Amino acid sequence: MTTAIRASDLSFSYGDVKAVDAVSFGVEPGEILGFLGPNGAGKSTTIKMLTGQLPPDGGSIEILGLPVPSSREQVQARIGVCFEEKNLYLNMSAEENLRFFASLFGADADVVWLLERVGLADRRKDRVSGYSKGMRQRLMMARALVNTPDVLFLDEPTDGLDPVSARAIREMILAEADRGAAVLLTTHDMYEADELSDRVAFINQGRILALDAPEALKLEHGTRAVKVRRRDGDGVAEEVIALDDADAGDRVRDALSQPGVLTIHTEEATLEDVFVAFAGRGLEG
Amino acid sequence: MTPRVVAAIVRKDLRAFGRDRFFLFMTILGLVVYAVVFHLLPSSVDETVALGVAGDDAAALFADAAGLPGLEIVEYGSRDALADAVASGGGPVAGLALPPGFAADLTAGRPTEVEILVPAGAPAEFEHLAQGIADGLAAGVSGDTAATTRTVVLGADRVGDQVSLQEQMRPLMVFFVLLIETLALATLLATEIHGRTVLAILVTPATTADFLAAKSLLGTMLAFAEAGVLMALIGGLAADPALVLVVLLLGAILVTGLGMIAGSFGKDFLNVLFISILIMIPLMIPAFGVLFPGTAAGWVQALPSFGLVDAIVGVTTGGEGWAEVAPNLALLAGWCAVLFGAGVWILRRKVASL
Repeated sequence: MTTAIRASDLSFSYGDVKAVDAVSFGVEPGEILGFLGPNGAGKSTTIKMLTGQLPPDGGSIEILGLPVPSSREQVQARIGVCFEEKNLYLNMSAEENLRFFASLFGADADVVWLLERVGLADRRKDRVSGYSKGMRQRLMMARALVNTPDVLFLDEPTDGLDPVSARAIREMILAEADRGAAVLLTTHDMYEADELSDRVAFINQGRILALDAPEALKLEHGTRAVKVRRRDGDGVAEEVIALDDADAGDRVRDALSQPGVLTIHTEEATLEDVFVAFAGRGLEG
Repeated sequence: MTPRVVAAIVRKDLRAFGRDRFFLFMTILGLVVYAVVFHLLPSSVDETVALGVAGDDAAALFADAAGLPGLEIVEYGSRDALADAVASGGGPVAGLALPPGFAADLTAGRPTEVEILVPAGAPAEFEHLAQGIADGLAAGVSGDTAATTRTVVLGADRVGDQVSLQEQMRPLMVFFVLLIETLALATLLATEIHGRTVLAILVTPATTADFLAAKSLLGTMLAFAEAGVLMALIGGLAADPALVLVVLLLGAILVTGLGMIAGSFGKDFLNVLFISILIMIPLMIPAFGVLFPGTAAGWVQALPSFGLVDAIVGVTTGGEGWAEVAPNLALLAGWCAVLFGAGVWILRRKVASL
């Protein structure tokens, strides 16, 4: 099977500033790759190069086995892009927006069905200028799917959305991956990346710091432990049991058999902890 | 370039244009108002004429002529003052400059010469009127000796080409209509650039060339259609419709280039309006120039719109054909290539920078 996205030693500079520095990765069909990094890390520049909007200074790109930018038009016929900015035609309806983009692809898209998928079928005749932020984002997602793409580039697709809209978008992303589409998802929402991604890539200052399955990264860089809290007289006692210890099983059993247990938590690392371990900084800012 | 993609973008833009109440209103209102105003303007000239005179004996010699119906005699202190007044277009329709010792020479039977001064664009009848008065004056002084006359045309010789206010206003109205369409295109482009919707287009199989072709087609179509309709409403297509339409098409391409420049630099409607007007004001000068007969100054002739205005005036007012208008067409086509090329280049760079 052809790798859906393949980037090798990709580089780009804005003047003297190196935005992307020798980035290499691949995404297989049906796989979701989370691209995690703070603002200015090089995520959007990488997407611009992969989607043919920006010619790389160095390295090579293949999308569905076709080189970019030389096969830009063939590639763009088979990709869907959801931009971070809500660049929709505000004085057109949702249906008109989708029909216009479908006509650019020469696709005979069932736009009403697409709008049903994103919960906008009832408002499909309304102008987008009257839509809420969440509705616009859902329409952006529907627009990215108008040509039934083999590769999806999603740039912060749930940024600033209410929980219901964000959940709807996440379900669509998973459904697209199940259909067989390769998804490159840029986000700085660790929860989203953890929930959706088969693998995540940490990018900072233009370089990929780590690339692996979220679980593997968390296990590798987190602490395998259980924290048990129980009532102790008037206060609360806390016991942390390392799971790698030889007597870990007995200690957990003992802790749980004592009276007054309030809570029990595993102490695995979050993706944010792992990112900080790699980058020496958090994702915000 | 893919025709299907270009057509899709044009259809989308036409829909957007149709939904912009301001431009829709301005387009329809412009056509109606300009057509009505045009037909309300006088289509003929005032029949009372003022004749300027200058010379030592002028006051005494023209005393009798001042009483003629429909004729007003205006005396000037010198030949140069008379010439300035005639050339301005707002003074006397013609002038008679008498040489020093005019009456004495005639009485003595010595040859003498009267200068007939006529402004560019004056009807031939004014020159004939001045000639007749000069002959009558000479006959009245000497009995039968006629004075020699010499006609001096002040400005380009358009004697016989009577230009009514209607005809003077025609190019200006066309230019106003083109300005509105320039503004419409520029606003559409600025919205597309600042809303970054162009980026969404360019990650589909649509290329930058498709986008530029669609905008070029849209701008030219809008400007050409409205200018053509206005010309039809104000009788500008009566003389040589094919030639006038070719001139308008070149004009539409010219303003499309300007619309692309304004749209690339504009950030919002007011910004686009400011830039469009800034660009179009100097280009209106040749159209205003038609209101004031005379040869346009060299710098006016160098303006990109001069060929457009002069060709419209030449065809619709002067009855000129392809051969006579050819130099203006060539000039206009040259400016079209320069400004349209500049517009496409600037817009391409702007899109690439997003």
